[in-house]
Amino acid sequence: MRIVAYVVRRILQGALVMLVLSIVVFVTIRLTGNPVAGLLQGLSPTKQAIAHLEHALGLDRPLYVQYAAYMWQAVRGNLGQSYSMQVPVTTLIWSRFPATLELALAAIVESILIAVPLGTYAALHRGSTGDLAVRGASLIGISFPNFWLGIMLVLVFSVTWRIFPASGDAGLLSLVLPATTLGLILAGVEMRLVRASVLEVVPQDYVRTARAKGSPPARVLTTHILRNALLSIVTFTGLQFAGLLGGVVIIEDIFAWPGLGQIGLTAVEQRDYPLVQGIVLFFAALLVLVNLLTDLSYLLIDPRIRFE
Amino acid sequence: MARSWSRLLGAATSASLLVAGLAVGSVAQAAHHRPAGVKTGGTLVIGESSADVGNWDPVATYEIPWATVMNNVFEGLTFRNPQLQLQPGLATSWKYLNPTTLQFQLRKGVTFQDGEPFNATAVQYTFNRLLGPAGAKGPEQGNYTSIKSVQVVNPYEVIFHLRAPDPSLLTKLSGYGAVIVPPQYIQKHGAAYFADHPIGTGPFMVTKYVRGSEIVLTRYPHYWRGPAYLQTVIYKFLPEDSTRLADLQTGAINVMQAVPIPDVPLLKSNPAYTTYVAVTPTVYEFGFDVTQPPVNNVLVRRAINMAINVPAIIKAVLKGYAKPISSYQGPLSFGNDPNLKPIPYDPAKAKALLKQAGVKAGTPITIGYDGTDTTFQEVAQAAASYLDAVGFKVTLMPVEQNTFYNQDIPDQKAGQMFEFGWGGWTLDFDNTAYLLYMPKQFYNPSFSNPEVSKLILAERSTNNVAARRQDFYKLDTLLQQLEPGVNLYDTEEIWATSSNVQNFVAPPDDRLWLWHTWVK
Repeated sequence: MRIVAYVVRRILQGALVMLVLSIVVFVTIRLTGNPVAGLLQGLSPTKQAIAHLEHALGLDRPLYVQYAAYMWQAVRGNLGQSYSMQVPVTTLIWSRFPATLELALAAIVESILIAVPLGTYAALHRGSTGDLAVRGASLIGISFPNFWLGIMLVLVFSVTWRIFPASGDAGLLSLVLPATTLGLILAGVEMRLVRASVLEVVPQDYVRTARAKGSPPARVLTTHILRNALLSIVTFTGLQFAGLLGGVVIIEDIFAWPGLGQIGLTAVEQRDYPLVQGIVLFFAALLVLVNLLTDLSYLLIDPRIRFE
Repeated sequence: MARSWSRLLGAATSASLLVAGLAVGSVAQAAHHRPAGVKTGGTLVIGESSADVGNWDPVATYEIPWATVMNNVFEGLTFRNPQLQLQPGLATSWKYLNPTTLQFQLRKGVTFQDGEPFNATAVQYTFNRLLGPAGAKGPEQGNYTSIKSVQVVNPYEVIFHLRAPDPSLLTKLSGYGAVIVPPQYIQKHGAAYFADHPIGTGPFMVTKYVRGSEIVLTRYPHYWRGPAYLQTVIYKFLPEDSTRLADLQTGAINVMQAVPIPDVPLLKSNPAYTTYVAVTPTVYEFGFDVTQPPVNNVLVRRAINMAINVPAIIKAVLKGYAKPISSYQGPLSFGNDPNLKPIPYDPAKAKALLKQAGVKAGTPITIGYDGTDTTFQEVAQAAASYLDAVGFKVTLMPVEQNTFYNQDIPDQKAGQMFEFGWGGWTLDFDNTAYLLYMPKQFYNPSFSNPEVSKLILAERSTNNVAARRQDFYKLDTLLQQLEPGVNLYDTEEIWATSSNVQNFVAPPDDRLWLWHTWVK
């Protein structure tokens, strides 16, 4: 019951966040300029044509009327129609989001597969050459600009060695380079976090007790050390995942990955109000959901945790 | 005897069949003669430099890249070939009955790619749709508002009733919002379906569309000109230059649009690739805000024109892939006077004019430009150095593209001089002239001249080509005297293909035409 009440409370808080966000996005995007002249730029942006299209799109109505009309439709699942593509925003989001999700998940998985073993090794061999190497690799990973790393990976693995495609979304091979670009940089940060978390857990009494009882080293590592170190890693990964969903724009552009980031960037450039609003609200809802799932996952990791 | 008769009958029958076959064959050959050595079939994979336009419905698009794909799927009543000559398309002929009444005879035996017949009903439906509620929220409607109505005379004749003469209408009928759409198909499936599954009368039909990734076209076997040579054309949306180049080098694509200038030598020196240069309609200038000192003085504007060495900028920054212009239009534009020369580079004369105008050394001048345009950034820096040399103190002001074009320029916040890039697909100076030189237009908040206005209104009030040409030539000369801007250059676009691609024509207007392109 306590958990149900907690979940309901979090959902209501999330709804309030989304309402406030909808007003902020609605107002701020309209401060960046009128999209109509941009839509007509390649054609014939006479004052009459601009006024005509503004009227057709409802942009000549008072702001509060536009907002009310938008929210009335939004709560029914209709996020309007993209100005530049004349396609429902929900259609664009649903058609593009799976690609972004796939890329973000792949990047997270790759980063965990790199960071957890290496960070754990570094912590358990503190001060060794291996620890130094891992910390150095972590620093290099953090320092790479993602656009540079992406282009370099294309140059080496696509153009020179012809192992992976340089672009597109045609199967698992196409996923490798963009996921690796994101995953390597993420792994650089995670390695340090894993190392620090493990270092904090290793000297604890329960770990010494487990060793003294004769538990196999592997069991000590997985059941006692990593499980207790996992909380901070899970929190960080949850935050990173949510951030990744909105932050893969450059990678999607470089690799022509047909995700939501690519279309979001174009929407902002074109001042495509409904598409920008729709994408922001969608990501906000996703962030609320991911944070909730992250918090709920603590129960699985540490049964001592209780929700107030 | 019987045997000899039957043998004779058999021979006669065979001979008749042979003659009939030859006749049919020769008709077929006359209709679609394929030169020797041309191989049919094959796949062309094109790396487009733009993102997915997202909607293939002609009434909904405002993007030039739409036509790079759809020029092979849809057709208009007129057809503009890759050499920019206007020819019969879905109409076999036309004539003006009076300046506002245009009659078309339509082509018979044409079908849409779903088998629906093309006829006058389809033409009327297309324009009713474009000019009605379906087209109201799209940007194309405003291009065709000179059309009041389309009258069906008989199944293969229509009459366009116009509100006023529209001298560029015949060109506008060759593409974009005016391409003919299938009424039965749209009524059956709806506009949303049509946007993702477009059907036209062109040589290729859409067989697959993956949003954000690619669109696949397949040969339409019943195309009225005869089937295309290629079997499949795939357009991949690859806006990132380095990715597009990588895909060409790995063979993932065999046509690359918009090769960046620094990469051209790499491809030109490799026999595995062929490069093509297309003169485009896109021109660049520095516009002047003629209300702001010191450029409110025509002597100063002339001095600035003479102080900037445009040929040197083209050579150094654009590596020669541009042409100087004498008026704000390219050499392919109707209205361009080929005998009018650009203002010559003469810094000594520029200094003399500035002295005459009373402009002191160190006078500040601000040049605004699109901060996302890395090429023009170099152009602006070069121009700034030329202006510094004649005594100005230049400040460069980069601004985000949308803000720059759609707020700063109309609100006169882009500086005394500002970048302006423009490309009109009609290749008729009318559109540019009206928007930039008629008073109080969106992109012209400051310039006004009664003689200029009179010439613009005169050229657009008649369909007489010779009279319009004369008006434009007078306008070109007058504008060069009044100096509302520094005419810089007309851009060229570079395409590259793998060397087995044959009969590829780089389109001057980005409207790729692949009917007779083939792959060895």
